[in-house]
Amino acid sequence: MIVGEQKPLEEIWEMVKVHKQLTVFGCNTCVAVCHQGGNKEAGILASLLRMKATQEEVDIEIVDSGIERQCEHEFFESVRDLMNRSEAVLSLACGIGVQFVATKYQTLPVYPALNTTFLGDVIAVGHFTEKCQACGDCVLGLTGGVCPVSRCCKRLMNGPCGGSSNGKCEISKEIDCAWQLIVDRLEALGRLDDYEKIPPLKDWSKDRAGGPRSFKLEDM
Amino acid sequence: MKRLKGLLRTIGINPERLQFYNLSAAMGPRWAEICNEFTEKIIALGPSPIWLARQKKKESLKHGE
Amino acid sequence: MDLKTNSRLEKVLKSGQLAVTSECGPPRSSAPEGIIKKGNLIKNHVDAINITDNQTSVTRLCSLAACVHLKLQGLDPVLQMVVRDRNRIALQSDILGAASFGINNVLCLSGDHQSFGDNPQAQNVFDLDSMQLVQTVRRMRDEGRFLSGDEIKVPPNMFVGAAANPFADPFKIRVPRLAKKIAAGAEFIQTQCIYNVEKFELWMQGVRDRGLHDKVFILAGITPMRSVGMAKYLRKSVPGMDVPEELIKRLSGVEKEKQAAEGITIAVETIQRLKEVKGVAGFHVMAIEWEEKVPEIVERAGLFPRPVID
Repeated sequence: MIVGEQKPLEEIWEMVKVHKQLTVFGCNTCVAVCHQGGNKEAGILASLLRMKATQEEVDIEIVDSGIERQCEHEFFESVRDLMNRSEAVLSLACGIGVQFVATKYQTLPVYPALNTTFLGDVIAVGHFTEKCQACGDCVLGLTGGVCPVSRCCKRLMNGPCGGSSNGKCEISKEIDCAWQLIVDRLEALGRLDDYEKIPPLKDWSKDRAGGPRSFKLEDM
Repeated sequence: MKRLKGLLRTIGINPERLQFYNLSAAMGPRWAEICNEFTEKIIALGPSPIWLARQKKKESLKHGE
Repeated sequence: MDLKTNSRLEKVLKSGQLAVTSECGPPRSSAPEGIIKKGNLIKNHVDAINITDNQTSVTRLCSLAACVHLKLQGLDPVLQMVVRDRNRIALQSDILGAASFGINNVLCLSGDHQSFGDNPQAQNVFDLDSMQLVQTVRRMRDEGRFLSGDEIKVPPNMFVGAAANPFADPFKIRVPRLAKKIAAGAEFIQTQCIYNVEKFELWMQGVRDRGLHDKVFILAGITPMRSVGMAKYLRKSVPGMDVPEELIKRLSGVEKEKQAAEGITIAVETIQRLKEVKGVAGFHVMAIEWEEKVPEIVERAGLFPRPVID
């Protein structure tokens, strides 16, 4: 899923304080799981902004709302009226949702309340870690199901580099060495010999390097 | 609680104004005690910045009339 | 002798004699005098000189320009190239550029992560990795083709090297990793600084068991300790560096003023011991910002004079 983190309140306040009305708008799927952008968080953020506005002696009508997903048209049906009377939207969605609102409502200002941080999982309660960079050309079949693109700091395809130490990356003891994990996994699968196979050079044209990506279902 | 206290701090509200207690329905006397203690603490802390800002706004509206 | 390039280093190695290389770091300025001086200081005691490429991710005068300065002095530079800062277009372009100046050696590296340097906010590239850069140079030289498949009219004449760190983890992959680099096309290897000689010998045993020493020239990395402080720092703070406790004890056992001399002696003893290890084809003496000590180490280790190559 997509993981995000709320921006500092001051940064949000500086973006939105010029408006007379603001809809604080949650997105209740991915970013709700990490307790940063769901409809509940929209309610909390709206309260904070109201208190901030009161203290700063600024008049803003702050409404909180939310939908299940800000990246698909059909979910917006339930908030049609609210959107029509909003002067500005503070979206707690990931960057996709913010852009979806911007495209859908051409004259409505929209601001991001989150920094979209990564595509990740929940390895323990409240602990989210990056696992994929959507490079467009998955190599997990070669690497025992551990991704060197998102999990090796140098995204080495034939690692580990010389900085791997006690299973950790040279840049931080908090980061597992992806290639240690790959080697351990290949060994567990009885496939350690596969390490010496040299894969073809990575085709980064399928990554963001090739420009914005899209695809269409053929039968639609 | 840690997170909520942090959020209050970011908008200039003393996090001491928020407290969480875990009590059962059978603990009436303890509940009363906590209420008294907390009321005293809040009185000692004085008016919150939100209350002050609201008062100021009311005053200015009065003068404006 | 089956020579692939005009590299002096290749000629020494293929003549069966122990080779000696060293390294110099370019300055953080546009003045070339410093690197030229460093080069001239050691030129009679080494066969080739590596020029580091923005080592530890700190911005410096570029490796290619520094190599050109040394080449113009008649030295044989080894162009270090990290894949951190350049994509495959820039890497291939710089290889042609280096070859156009008659630079005949390249060492292909991943490069330290930018978080260690002066621009931790920088984007990193890592379009290719070090192994793929080895493949790239070999393809350019041997097939006369760019990665795209397009023909190179005059291919670059480069002797291709890579690094190996026998002390990094996981140890079980360190011999296979060398084998993979050789399969990718590495012709010479310069290793991480060796302090834990036993572990290095264990790695070399694994190398010989697979016959890899017959397929690649391994130059053992030697860096003299300047003080017990340096030894402790390397042990504690540099991942992939293996400094045994005994070495720290030995340095601690001598007075502060004599620790540097003791460090040199240890380096000399290490070389003498490793000369006996089958499969060691030479030494890469990295005296970091202490180049003036390279001649002494080389002489005391019995590696002087250097062979004369025409």
